[in-house]
Amino acid sequence: MDLKLTDEQRQIADSVEELLANASDSARMRHAAFECGGFDPALWRQVAELGACAVHIPEAHGGLGLGVTELVLVAEAFGRRLACVPWLESAVLAGTTILQVGDEAVASRWLPSIASGEQVVTLDIGLLDRAPLTARREGGGWRLDGVLPAVPAAMAAQWLLLPVQGEEGRLLLAVAVDASGVSRRPRANHDATRPVAEVRLQGVLVPDGDCLARGVVADNALELGRRLTTVVLASEQVGVAQQCLDLTVAYLGQRVQFGKPLATFQALKHRCACMMVAVELARSAVLGAARQLDGQPDAGRMLRVATMARCLADDAAQFCTQEAIQLHGGVGFTWEFDPHLYFKRAQAARSWLGTPTAWRESLAAALLDGAAA
Amino acid sequence: MTSSNYEAFRAEVVAWMHEHLRGEFEPLRGCGGLGDPGYDPKLAKRWEQELARGGWVGIGWPREHGGRALPLSQQVVFHEEYVRAGGPGRLGHIGETLLAPTLMAFGTPGQQRRFLPGIMAGTEYWAQGYSEPNAGSDLANVQTRARLEGDSWVIDGQKTWTSWAQESDWIFVLARCEPGSRRHHGLVMLLVPLHHSGVTIRPIKQITGESEFNEVFFDGARIEASLHLGAPGEGWKVAMALLGFERGVSTLGQQAGFEREMECLIEVARRNGAARDPVLRQRIAQAAVTLDALRCNALRVLAQDGAEKGDAPVSREAYIAKYVWSNWRRDFGRLAADVLGAAADVTDDDDPAAQKLRQVWLFSRSDTIYAGANEIQLNLIAERALGMPR
Repeated sequence: MDLKLTDEQRQIADSVEELLANASDSARMRHAAFECGGFDPALWRQVAELGACAVHIPEAHGGLGLGVTELVLVAEAFGRRLACVPWLESAVLAGTTILQVGDEAVASRWLPSIASGEQVVTLDIGLLDRAPLTARREGGGWRLDGVLPAVPAAMAAQWLLLPVQGEEGRLLLAVAVDASGVSRRPRANHDATRPVAEVRLQGVLVPDGDCLARGVVADNALELGRRLTTVVLASEQVGVAQQCLDLTVAYLGQRVQFGKPLATFQALKHRCACMMVAVELARSAVLGAARQLDGQPDAGRMLRVATMARCLADDAAQFCTQEAIQLHGGVGFTWEFDPHLYFKRAQAARSWLGTPTAWRESLAAALLDGAAA
Repeated sequence: MTSSNYEAFRAEVVAWMHEHLRGEFEPLRGCGGLGDPGYDPKLAKRWEQELARGGWVGIGWPREHGGRALPLSQQVVFHEEYVRAGGPGRLGHIGETLLAPTLMAFGTPGQQRRFLPGIMAGTEYWAQGYSEPNAGSDLANVQTRARLEGDSWVIDGQKTWTSWAQESDWIFVLARCEPGSRRHHGLVMLLVPLHHSGVTIRPIKQITGESEFNEVFFDGARIEASLHLGAPGEGWKVAMALLGFERGVSTLGQQAGFEREMECLIEVARRNGAARDPVLRQRIAQAAVTLDALRCNALRVLAQDGAEKGDAPVSREAYIAKYVWSNWRRDFGRLAADVLGAAADVTDDDDPAAQKLRQVWLFSRSDTIYAGANEIQLNLIAERALGMPR
């Protein structure tokens, strides 16, 4: 496994970081998060124009045809700047799940508009407990009734992808947000940079043509999409941790107590060093996982690398966001300073796509019980 | 290199190990090194010579020094397959991976001709003479003295924590050659024979009950005046360059060794029921993926431009490398003991997997101390990688 990055790969990452460092700096990010429902449409257009939504989409469907390695490089900048755009939800989660369906007709219908950013498509990942969504056959399609308590990016989206239990197995259905019987309500959440909304479905009719996959194909696409997106989410978490480290080192360099900068105290230096250890090990894990996913590994390997990226990045994000608040002292507990925004993101991201505890248990089953991945 | 060539090379290593690590060498299979019960140093040296005959020593050295100049990717494959096949701890490690690159960078052509072939052939073994009773973490406080007298260097002083000195032939010694000099000025790196008048080796009994490291005393030891590596007065520069080579590919062999320890742990956990404990399941999975991440980190270090020649600027992932592997292993040792339960303490069974885990539990206490203790690593990370003020 060669972890060398090419110049092109570095350029892609740099161009996104450059855009977001400016267009999603602390003030703009806060404005979008707290005044605009966590969605910045102008930034979304810029992100899309840069090609960030097209990274891994095949060229035949309007994408750049690149791999998971490029995706994680870009993702780190999104995490670092807490950019208020549904990039992870639409381009990565919906995009990869659709790709994994492996159906040309489905791909050519959905992927070009996801790649261009013209449409925001999201996928219900089952946040908060709820009864499973069921579908009844009706006419030439399915009838849906139910409540999805917290769907990411549902307010910004034009389409919702819903994993549904049909009478003959799993279905992956697409529902337009303006379809009859669909209503949405933003939920209050701590991580305002990543909004979620309640979606109510009352007698929503989904035509056959909006069923993307059924049965095993749907299950596989959802699981592969989940594993891949987990690694990209992990990279966002690395960005979260890195930003907390940078904010903390900068703050300790400026803040003077006992007649000298706090950064000169060994006890505090060691804390920052431990943060960097967590960040760099997590970054190595994410890069290694991405590189292995680009090599089309088997299911067992995929479980292992996704668990690695997920757990290490979660550790880094939890530790660094906590340390950032602590090492900022009193101002670390104020709304005005940024560490709390990252702390809230780190916690929210933890329950997406399977908790680290759940990932570890799946891996333990494979390692210790000989369970299939 | 195409991937089929790559796999062919891997197959070549696997086949060679299969063919040669047998017969008289069978007892060495899976041995870590000195301190392992059953590790016979004489046999280990014959094994080094067997490796040398197979062309597996100095595989990354340049051709002009008799090496095979294999690219890093192939060296990695060799180290991985070596350990997977149960290849024992390498007695020639210090000579091959630390001193040899330093000789190539700073040695005279005469020194290179004199010392490289012995390292390559597995006939001369080296120890490292850096630490002293008053120069541990504070290495620049070296007090061993060397003075030129006619055509000789005369050495007085003491080194300590010298691994494998009792099995080595030579030692490279950092000594103070300018009286009154301080810190990292006025030092010289000397190449000193260990079986020599004025040199005394005293093994130190470790918490494992075994002795891997030693005290080495120099009482007016007299060596040829030509046996300094690099210019007298510039010993610090040479010493630091030598440590820089420590970040090399051998860490991947070490990594493969950890993977074998992990397999032992899983075997024991499945056997004794620890695998059903939900908390241990979490810890085992976390240890497994952290180990995978160490490998990714090592590969990231090696992917740096210039890593091939050892002259890359130290990258952030390189700064954390020692800290992360040593702490992983220490945590792993504790996990291993918890998986063993009471068998962590009762030691006279004949269960090889349990024996290995008990050994890791105890031996891993040293990992976070030697070669730059945790606290020194964190200083380096904070001050050099993060640029925080001293």
